[in-house]
Amino acid sequence: MVRRVLSLASGRLAVGILLAIALLAILGPLLAPQDPLATSDNSLTGPSAAHWLGTDYLGRDVFSRLLDGSRVSVVGALEVTLMALVVGAVPGILSVYLGRVFEWLTLRIADTLIALPFLLFAVAVTALLGNGITQAMLVTGVLVSPLFYRVSRAATLAVARSQYVEAALISGASLGWVIRRHVWAKVLPPIAVALAQTLGVGFIIVSSLSFLGIGVQPPEPTWGGLLASDLGYLDYRPSAPFVPALLIMATVWASNLLADAIRDVSGESGRALVNTRKAKANQLAAGGTA
Amino acid sequence: MRTTARRLRGATLALAVTATLASTLTACGSGSGASAAASGPTTLKWASSYFPTHWDPVVSGSGAQFRLLSLVYASLTRTDENGKAVPDLAEKWEYNTAGDQVTFHVRSGLKFSDGEPVDGTAVKAAIERAKTQKNSALFGDLTSIKEVTASGQDVVVKLSQVDHQIPQLLGQRVLQVASPKAAQDPAKLDQTPVGAGPFVVTQLVPGTKVVLKKNPDYWDAANIHIDNVELVSAPDASTIVSGLQTGVYNFADLAPAQADAAKKAGLDVFVQPGFNAANISLNVNKAPFNNPKVVDAVRHAVNRKEFVDKLTFGLGEATDQPFPEKYIAYDPASKNRWPYDPEKAKQLLAEAGFKPGDIKLDLVIPDATPAAEIIQSQFAAIGITLTIKVDKNWSKPFFAKELTVSVYGTTGRDSAVQTLTAHFGPNGPLNLSTPYQPEGFEAAVAKVRQTPLDAPEYPEALRAATRAGLESRALVFTYSAPNLLAKSKSISALPANPAHIDWTGVRISGR
Repeated sequence: MVRRVLSLASGRLAVGILLAIALLAILGPLLAPQDPLATSDNSLTGPSAAHWLGTDYLGRDVFSRLLDGSRVSVVGALEVTLMALVVGAVPGILSVYLGRVFEWLTLRIADTLIALPFLLFAVAVTALLGNGITQAMLVTGVLVSPLFYRVSRAATLAVARSQYVEAALISGASLGWVIRRHVWAKVLPPIAVALAQTLGVGFIIVSSLSFLGIGVQPPEPTWGGLLASDLGYLDYRPSAPFVPALLIMATVWASNLLADAIRDVSGESGRALVNTRKAKANQLAAGGTA
Repeated sequence: MRTTARRLRGATLALAVTATLASTLTACGSGSGASAAASGPTTLKWASSYFPTHWDPVVSGSGAQFRLLSLVYASLTRTDENGKAVPDLAEKWEYNTAGDQVTFHVRSGLKFSDGEPVDGTAVKAAIERAKTQKNSALFGDLTSIKEVTASGQDVVVKLSQVDHQIPQLLGQRVLQVASPKAAQDPAKLDQTPVGAGPFVVTQLVPGTKVVLKKNPDYWDAANIHIDNVELVSAPDASTIVSGLQTGVYNFADLAPAQADAAKKAGLDVFVQPGFNAANISLNVNKAPFNNPKVVDAVRHAVNRKEFVDKLTFGLGEATDQPFPEKYIAYDPASKNRWPYDPEKAKQLLAEAGFKPGDIKLDLVIPDATPAAEIIQSQFAAIGITLTIKVDKNWSKPFFAKELTVSVYGTTGRDSAVQTLTAHFGPNGPLNLSTPYQPEGFEAAVAKVRQTPLDAPEYPEALRAATRAGLESRALVFTYSAPNLLAKSKSISALPANPAHIDWTGVRISGR
């Protein structure tokens, strides 16, 4: 599937952007030219050779803070996504096989979770458990998980009633073997689409919470936090919110682009699309006409 | 002859035109009141970042919210532009010869907005409620009051000690008088305020908005020229200026970072005089601040100029006392007692046996503020590591004196003694180190209480009490934030009543 995604220009662009963001998260704190927490007397200055993106209200280097803040934003988004995947996908698949009680129970839980506003809930959880990004993200992941539950359940239902799965079960194949061999391969593409989509949602959630000052203790930088603090000093640095806002937008856009690319190349129609493109490329390379 | 007649006709015409113009201009000039009257009722649209959670003055306490509650509640006394107590509900008062009893004479013929009479009994009930109600934020301020008796319009306040501060004390911050009938249900009063102030509440949406109309029964209603008030909880500071520009509000408090934008927008930006003072609160009952050398190190670690420059954009001032420099209680002899000297601070820590990084503490604060980040960086510069912890329930551990280090900012008190005892007294709410108090403070405060406010020795006695209080190892003062306000030009100037927002005599032109 990776090769098929990369065969699309949109897929390559999305992966490129997300890889760059991932590198920022890993290497950002090391690449930061200055201590992101070090204050100075030069507050609210514009871009200069010493401070590429200027300084903030306490004279800290904004570029270094952006690089340093990447990790929290990326890790937060990943926490939401992985939590949602684990909590949502596994019961989604099992709900088809583990009987009516389990099915009824998980469906009602999913319905309940969908009804809860996740931002509000994350705020409440941080108020109860202390102001930390991990607890906020994990709880948000649980609230987003019905997406994975529904996607994986729908895909599993489609496969579970197919003749070859029934034949495998009649032949004595275990449930685990059937899920690994037949179900997982069919469920994976829609889950991958949901995963990429949720990554984008995760970025929005972590940025929104840190914008509101929830989850991260000052002076730790985050993209949302930088955006929020910049808005208070627009008269002095009107262009300041541009870069953190751009980073958030680009990351969310790349996640959605990746989701679209995975959807486009998934299944038989996806394979056909890729094959058609390859055929066209071969024809062009051979000097023919499309 | 014909020329003369023509000149006469010309002169007559010129006179007629001049007379018409003059009468028109006169009409315009003298008719401003009439045109204002014709423009309909005037409305103050106030966006405040101190929107009260509680509307019961006993619960709300002496903080900045009293300025908003004073729309509804009148108090026994008020302060004038010099900060001196002047009549409000009480038209006069007198002390006995010993100075341990004061009799207030309440204006007659007044009533609360629920129709209850404003008399000595109502004032007595208000004082006793402030002293005894379970959730009172004021009881600590009234320890001098032993007994209150009422007779008709008179109320006699008997004191446990000689105390000439009482008229200063029983002003807007400590004795906003609520209707005793409404106060029988404090929970209801908390969201349905009933007072005898300049305005009456017509609608209250908790935490969001309150609508008021002029109270025709207010004792000074003749000098209240605003018909309606719409008070809203201010949204994000960055949106205030645009709200003022577009007329959503016509009055608001302003963050210093927005001052330039407000000026550029053509708004009236002004600083109301006040007594604001921010501090770092230390608990000397807990390590490491139980070591005086560590406290001295912190005292030398604080660069007050950084607070003024970065937080107030130069509009505030540095202060190492619980008052700004121009206030009567400010002690010049104590100025710069512990100057900024990070090297000396490091040396003191070394003498106390602490290496850089040895001291790691949580700085617990109610909201994420840049001030906390500045403190964190200044402490880091001498080797003390602070981790900022934002705790929405901060007030509980702070007032229970459980924290090791925190921050606080006071908007001051009308009685300087109240400010001093709140900070340095053994049970002062802002003394994180209760029951600790600096040596000699109690005696110095008693001397101030015993000194009439108009006595020539009063200022020095007050400064001596400040000097004694500043020996406290529990507080390090940092800066005084400005009371920065912005208003539409249609609102006339406010009385420069220090730390108050007084609407007496203020006019709004047009709607």
